[in-house]
Order: sequence, then C-alpha cells, then structure tokens
Amino acid sequence: MRQHIENKTYHVEILPPKQDSEKLDADLEAFGVKFNRVMESGYCACLTDNAMGNLAFQGTEMIEELGLEPKKDLVMIHLNTFHTKDDLDRILNSCRILKIRQLLVISGDGSDRLPKLSPADVGAHNTEAVTSVELLQYIVREYPGDFELGVAFNPYEPEEHEFAKMERKLAAGATFIITQPVIERHEVVDKLLVKYPKIPVIVEAWMSKKIDLLSEAVGYEIKTATDPFDPIATLKILHQNYKSCGIYLSLLGFKTQYDFIKDTWK
Amino acid sequence: MKIVVCVKQVPGSNDAKIDPETKRIVREGIKAVTNPFDTYAVEEAVRIKEKIGGEVVVLTMGPPRADIVLREGISVGADKAVLLSDRAFGGSDTWATSYALAKAIEKIGSVDLVICGKQAIDGDTAQVGPGIAAQLDWPQATYVMAVPEVKPGLIQVKRMHEDGWDLCEVKLPAVLTVVKDINQPRIPTLKGRLAAQKIEIPTWTAADIGAEPELIGLNGSPTRVVKTNPPPAREKASLKLDGTPAETAGKLVHELRVRGLV
Repeated sequence: MRQHIENKTYHVEILPPKQDSEKLDADLEAFGVKFNRVMESGYCACLTDNAMGNLAFQGTEMIEELGLEPKKDLVMIHLNTFHTKDDLDRILNSCRILKIRQLLVISGDGSDRLPKLSPADVGAHNTEAVTSVELLQYIVREYPGDFELGVAFNPYEPEEHEFAKMERKLAAGATFIITQPVIERHEVVDKLLVKYPKIPVIVEAWMSKKIDLLSEAVGYEIKTATDPFDPIATLKILHQNYKSCGIYLSLLGFKTQYDFIKDTWK
Repeated sequence: MKIVVCVKQVPGSNDAKIDPETKRIVREGIKAVTNPFDTYAVEEAVRIKEKIGGEVVVLTMGPPRADIVLREGISVGADKAVLLSDRAFGGSDTWATSYALAKAIEKIGSVDLVICGKQAIDGDTAQVGPGIAAQLDWPQATYVMAVPEVKPGLIQVKRMHEDGWDLCEVKLPAVLTVVKDINQPRIPTLKGRLAAQKIEIPTWTAADIGAEPELIGLNGSPTRVVKTNPPPAREKASLKLDGTPAETAGKLVHELRVRGLV
C-alpha cells in the first residue's frame, strides 16, 4: 500500500450493479467500462461489498463473468461480515485465483436478505457477533500471506472508542487504514497519523456534490466551506493537508469528474 | 426427486391500495417482488435437490410480467419454470387458484413434492398450499421449519407450533408449506441472474392444463370479499431518555423490552 502512495495511485471506488437492477445488461457494461478505465489509468479499482446493505453482485464474480483483467496490485475488494461461510471462502478463493491481494475488511451494513457470519463460522470464541476483527483473524489464519488487509477508520465516531477498535484491528493483522470521507481536514484523522506514523493511511474524498448524503451516511451533519460543495476543489485541499496519505475517491463521477483528477495529485 | 415450488408475485411496497369496487389489490404501477415466504420454499427445494439429486420447477399464476419471480427462482438454482397466465384465471380466490396450480402440477407430471411459502404477504390467507394438497388429494405438512431427512417415498419434517415442534413423516407425493426458520435463502449469483435472463419460460393457459372453465376465475371461486377496512392507524409516540450514555442505554433496553420489541 505504501507503493500506491509513493506512486500517487488513486483508489477509485466502483459499485457493482444492484441485485434488483432492471437494466442489468446496461449496468454490467457500465461497470466493465469503469473498471477498464481505472486499470488503464494505473489507479486501483476498489469494489464494494453490498454497500449500505443494498444487495449487489460481488466484485470477484463481476470480474470473472465479464472476463475483466485486473492488473497486479491494482484491485481492492471490500469484504464485510454479511456472508455465509461458503460465500466468504468462495470470495477469498476467487481473489487468490485472480491474484487480488488487497482486501478492505469491514463489519459492513446488513439487511433482511443478507446472511451474517457467526462466530463459529470464523472460529471466534468469547464473542457474540463477528466484526471486522474476527474476520481479519480468520483470513490471517486460514489464508496466511495471501492478502494485504486494510481496515476502516471512522473519525465521526467517539474518538476513544474508535482508537480502541483500531488497536484491535491492527493486532488482528490489518496493515493499512482507509478513513471515512473527510472534507478538507479532520482533527481525529490528524491524531490517527500521529499515533500510527508507520501505517499507510488512505484518506477518503467525497466526490459527490450531494453533501447531505455524506451527513446521512456518517450520522452527523457535515458542513462545508463552499456552497454548493465543490468536490474537485476540496480534493485538492485534501492533498495539501494529507501529503503523506493516499486518497480514496468515493462516488466519483466517471463522466463529469474522471478527466479532471489526473492532474490533481502532483 | 421432482419438486415443484409455487411462488407468487406480491406488491413490494406498503403503499398497495384496495380497489373499492372489486375489493382486490391494485397491482398496476406497484413494483412487484417474490413473496418473501416463497424464497424460503425455493431455497429448501434447491437444497433437497443438491443433497439427493433431482429437478426443481418453479410455478406461478399471474400476468405475463409475473415471469420475474420465476426468473428469480431460476437465478438461485431452480431448473425450470412454468407461468400460468390466462384471463380466464382472473378473479380466482384461493380455492380456484389451488385448483389451477394443482392442474399445472399434474401436467408437469411425476412430481414427488410441492413446496409453498406458508402464506403470501398480500392476502395473508395461508390457504393455497393446503388447497393444492386438497385438490391433488395428497398429504400435507404445514409450517415446516426443517426437513431433516428425505427417504424414498417418505419425507421427514419438523412442524413449528406455539409450544415447539413436531417431527412428522409424510408419504410422498406431498405438499409442504414452510416458515422463515427453515433456512437462509441464498443471494443470486451473477451467473445465476444471467442464466435466468436467458431461459425460455413456457406460458400455459387454462386450456393447456385442462382446467374446467367453471372451476377457475370468479366462476370457480366460492368466496367473495364483500367489505374491506384498513387497519387502525398506528399510534406514533416519542420518548426522551435522560442520563449518562450507560443509563440511557439501560432505559432504552427496558422500554424496548416492555413493548415486546426485543
């Protein structure tokens, strides 16, 4: 992951099509176009896992079924705890076959339709529920050396609690951190960088103009200096403030924004 | 083993309205989904097939667009699908619907087991599964929460009831209706969805299944809905809890418990 930061490699989020898509063929084609564009740019494609609890197709099956070609170390799969044990192992084995090494391991959001890993599934003891910590421990134990494992950091959660969780995640085998979206700067992210100077940190940039969606996602009102919110200008400020970090672009507009980002990280 | 799973398209929204004239659900303009209980029925059928071999056929009665729920069944492992669609089926109550589905099951042929969800979430009658069993004169087990074993000519099931469960053995062919506790339905894979998009689904009319005209539609329906009333509006209430985070968490748990919510 350190290499991504040194090479100024953006992490570009791509959402696989939803399960209930009524225009699946068009959605699949759009996904393939986005994926190939990210590969051609030399960026890292980050494929979400049922984001916000919405049922969607898995990143690995998208790559396999569409015959896409992941470039070495330029694909990251998000993996959460809302799977059956069989599905979890299927995803991890697919990653191995596709030579995808980077995983973002998160607890994730559930829904009525999504199964949830049980502690017994991942060999966890003394816990009632599987979180990213137990999932990390399982992957490290069952797939030793196969993956580079990242975890999420939420600066909007109570700080003490979030740092305690981070300790457990790092102890479980995480080697890089991706934050929740940060607008320009966040003091808790600054503390994270001071506390873990040797861990690569990727700061998430919110690329949608709809800032209210971010407020909804994190559960706190996010205020911006500019109105309307200007994601590209804010991205440039983020680079200035976090020169030692990588950048994860969420909800990037491929039609309207993609061409503008190539010169923003110099 | 040949298993038929009966599935139904239901409104995927709480905004469904009742037509004041016909007393039936207005389905036009409402996004339709597979009846949630039926997804458990499909999953159980596919699990039995994966365990002992055989074939799963999903069957529905409805308008041409009801093929969506059949394709969902195919996407999670069913092998074939049949759509019963004919204006002559319009206005069928649960008995006439059971008759039409039973005739289709006879036409499919050599069926060992029929599985239905325990009820549909629109009509909430829980009558069609037992109705099919009655029409076919097959044994039935309702509210099935587990299928521990399938032997030649016999199926072992656990039936859920208020005090626990009964372990029953039912001779095949038979009809089961299943509850949500029976399994966790799988999520369709992309490969499954793409296969489901391509599959040809035959549409059978009343004539195709040899249905007697006087036994289907309004003619074959002994029941009439004469009046409907919406349920009383739920009371909205808010409660403010004061104290430290630990205290308010404790109070919140207490309030949820006394309301039977956790």
